[in-house]
Amino acid sequence: MSRVSSTPPALALFLLRTMLPASQAESFVGDLLETYADDCTTRGPARARWRLWRETLAALVVVRPRRLGITPQLATGDSTMRIFCGDLLHGARLLRRAPAFTALAVLTLGLGVGATTAIYSVAAPTLLHSVPYVQSDRLVMVWERDGHGGKNNLGWLTFADIARSARTLQRVAAVGNWQVTLSGGNDPERVQGSRVSWTYFRVLGVTPALGRDFTESEDRPGSNSVVMLSHGLWQRRYAGDSSIVGRAIDIDGAPYTVAGVLPASFEDVISTQSRIYRVLGYGPSLSYACRSCRQLRAIGRVAPNATLAQVDAELDGISAMLVKEYPTEYPASGAFVVPMQREVTRAVRPVVLALLGAVTLVLLIACANVANLQLARAMRRSDEFAIRTALGASRSRLARQLLAEGLLLAVLGGVAGVFVAWLAVPALASRLPDDFPRLASVRLDLGAFGATAVVTLLVGVLIGLVPVWHWGRRSPGAALRSGARQVGPSRLVARGGLVVAEVALALMLLVGAGLLSRSLLRLLSVDPGIDASNVLTMQVQATGRAYATNEAVFANHERVRDAVRALPGVEGVATANQLPLGGNTDMYGVQALDKPLANPELAPSADRYAVSTDFMRTMRIPVIQGRGFTESDDRDSAAKVAVVSAALAQRIWGSESPIGKQVQVGGSSAPWRTVIGVAGNVRHHGLDEDRTLQIYVPERQWLFSDDAVALVVRTHADPSLLAPAVRRAVQGVDPTQPIIRLESMQHVITDSTAQRRLALLLFGAFAVIAATLAAAGIYGVLSGMVAERTREIGVRSALGATPGDILKLVLSRGATLAGIGLLVGLVGALALGRFLQSLLFAVSPADPLTLAIVAAMLGFIALMACAIPARRAVRVDPMTALRAD
Amino acid sequence: MLGELEQVVMLAVLRVGEEAYGVPIRGEIARHGGRELTLATVYKTLGRLEDKGLVESYEGEPTAQRGGRRKRFYHVTPAGKRELKQSVGALRRMASGLDLGWES
Repeated sequence: MSRVSSTPPALALFLLRTMLPASQAESFVGDLLETYADDCTTRGPARARWRLWRETLAALVVVRPRRLGITPQLATGDSTMRIFCGDLLHGARLLRRAPAFTALAVLTLGLGVGATTAIYSVAAPTLLHSVPYVQSDRLVMVWERDGHGGKNNLGWLTFADIARSARTLQRVAAVGNWQVTLSGGNDPERVQGSRVSWTYFRVLGVTPALGRDFTESEDRPGSNSVVMLSHGLWQRRYAGDSSIVGRAIDIDGAPYTVAGVLPASFEDVISTQSRIYRVLGYGPSLSYACRSCRQLRAIGRVAPNATLAQVDAELDGISAMLVKEYPTEYPASGAFVVPMQREVTRAVRPVVLALLGAVTLVLLIACANVANLQLARAMRRSDEFAIRTALGASRSRLARQLLAEGLLLAVLGGVAGVFVAWLAVPALASRLPDDFPRLASVRLDLGAFGATAVVTLLVGVLIGLVPVWHWGRRSPGAALRSGARQVGPSRLVARGGLVVAEVALALMLLVGAGLLSRSLLRLLSVDPGIDASNVLTMQVQATGRAYATNEAVFANHERVRDAVRALPGVEGVATANQLPLGGNTDMYGVQALDKPLANPELAPSADRYAVSTDFMRTMRIPVIQGRGFTESDDRDSAAKVAVVSAALAQRIWGSESPIGKQVQVGGSSAPWRTVIGVAGNVRHHGLDEDRTLQIYVPERQWLFSDDAVALVVRTHADPSLLAPAVRRAVQGVDPTQPIIRLESMQHVITDSTAQRRLALLLFGAFAVIAATLAAAGIYGVLSGMVAERTREIGVRSALGATPGDILKLVLSRGATLAGIGLLVGLVGALALGRFLQSLLFAVSPADPLTLAIVAAMLGFIALMACAIPARRAVRVDPMTALRAD
Repeated sequence: MLGELEQVVMLAVLRVGEEAYGVPIRGEIARHGGRELTLATVYKTLGRLEDKGLVESYEGEPTAQRGGRRKRFYHVTPAGKRELKQSVGALRRMASGLDLGWES
């Protein structure tokens, strides 16, 4: 039998295992798997999966009832159970006889339950579960305090001091960024990695699945060519070959020993995209290990018996001592810890909470809608219940019957919900930004489903009992006499109340969606400071043995630029160490000769742009004052120059002209440079982030060469058309260097708003569902009312009421319900607006325009929902209506 | 009197012989009976026949295939054979002498 790697859908097998009687499940599932494997080879995996699902559904329909005991012959045993089974069976028959009602109710509940389960599944790893390590509540991140009370990374020397002296931290570890090219073989690959101190995995409590952990003796300069592979990378690139441990692999053209492979279950929540780890190997003598070289993040495990406050106090003490000893190396005194769980989820907490709130509203609306449907249906069945009561059925007997129906609906809705969630969770996960915390753990969450299922069952009970509450008040005789045509006021209040609630909830969701979309529009209209149209960007690099010298790297970048410039349709080409809005943080302190500071750490920090001559021209960053770079500047031997952004000039020199001033970038040993120009401000970190300052230097004048740079190409036409040619040209310069992140600058900007877009998309979808359900609710109530009052309407028009009067009668009821709903919704939206606050940009949560537009829109939808019943009422023929009884 | 589906399934069990479990039974019906039944239908019918005492089943030993899941083997009991003979015989007698265009 040939083995096919395609695995059968786990959900189907799970359903079969749980739903089928144990005696049949084993052989049946075995038969199915056998068929599946055969189908995979003969018909392909898609057809095989399709058949497996068909078989599963057939099995659940055909075989399941025998076990549940719904079939009459099995419904023996104790009498309560038998009656309940009978009720279920009767309920099932009734539901089958009203397919439209059943489908609508199940679909509505399914959407509500499914959406809620899906969002809770996404939220669970970030909000509910702790980070996936042993005793994770004792894991913290360690930060230095910056000049504004915020947090700062650590320089290695500071980290080493803390590691040596902190007693309240059992162990600390440092982690820095490491981007590498896996060379070796003919398929170079760019991989995100981390450089970590030897203690890193020990702090997290993770032991390698294969091989060994890093050792202390490896964590020193010169002996640190040792790496650890993630399970995924090991499987993918090295085909799960366990003999790789202890061997050398080629990274950036140099050999590295593989110490071990991490377990498959290991998830790095600190650097979510790391696939390979190299031992740090810093030492006091290295220039980049300095105290102000803040490249490292630190994590720690709190000692048993120590509290976070004690840790903070001890770190503050250590920091105070360091500041005293090295006053010019720290902007401020103090260090502190933040629980790892809080730290990694901080960024997405607001958006996740807002979505949870939104989806809960959707679930509520769905439940209200189904309750409404069931109530309408129960009213039409007044006759049936009156007769059964007259024949001696007790009230509790009827209640149980309705309860069974409600439960049945809830269960069907729950099953539909699992299906919706099962489709939605992977779709949702694939749309989340790559750096979404705990993304790797997002999966259909059974706990979330369980919680939602309980809610749905409760709703089922409520749905069942709402009608009972009404019959409780009427004597059967009265019900029979009235011919079930009269409508008690309490019933109208109940149905009206449900509709008001639906409209109000829908309005709240629509307001949320409206506010988010206005925020996004405002955000996208923010001037990034560059002209992003017709610009293609990508990362190109020069790593490996051939690029050991700065000059070799610069020469490669120049060859790449020349090759691309020669292409037809290219207007300009440049390289830079980073891109605006590209997600990099590369900042250096800028000191001015004429404005000396006692503590250089308090100098303003600016984004460092080491650029080729044409960068500002290509990106269309305006030169406001002075001049930009020329070819003669981009030489190591040329006079050192810099261009500052307008905001940086303003910050240092105020209204003085910066041209000709001397600045120092990158520490006290860096050369002094003459400011030759002032450039327009650029949004570097995000359209919604605070403005930052920029300083531009010619790339050959910088302290070192950047081996991976962003290539920007301004084209005459649509940049995507030129992408293949540019890729070929770059590849032609050195085929061993991978190209990554090939995209238009426009796309880079859009990507920087990905989280907002997703939030808006989901809110929008929820709002559309909510508005649709609310409209259906209004329609249901009004058409029910018209049906119940057909005779009254007939009498009225027989007595001379004009169509206008009838129209007014129906519309006023709809308008009242919608109006109250809108008012309640507005109050709710104002009250809940503050939860959205942190997601909004330049829009107030009480933005009057949004509120007005949304309310008008929902009002219009409500009016449309009234139109059909109103038309039906106007067309009531008085004679037919009167004869009907 | 046996239902038509019951007859088809019992005939298939007899045709497959010793190794009669879900997959080959269904395959036999597809090949010679010209219809694609779902496994669920096959199992339900077999269950009904077992309730009537017309077929018997026993579980095989777990093997490395099918994820170690055991097969359930079916065979027709003497009572089943009697019943089947009667049913099929009745059909044959009813059909004999009629020209339905199948003898040519």
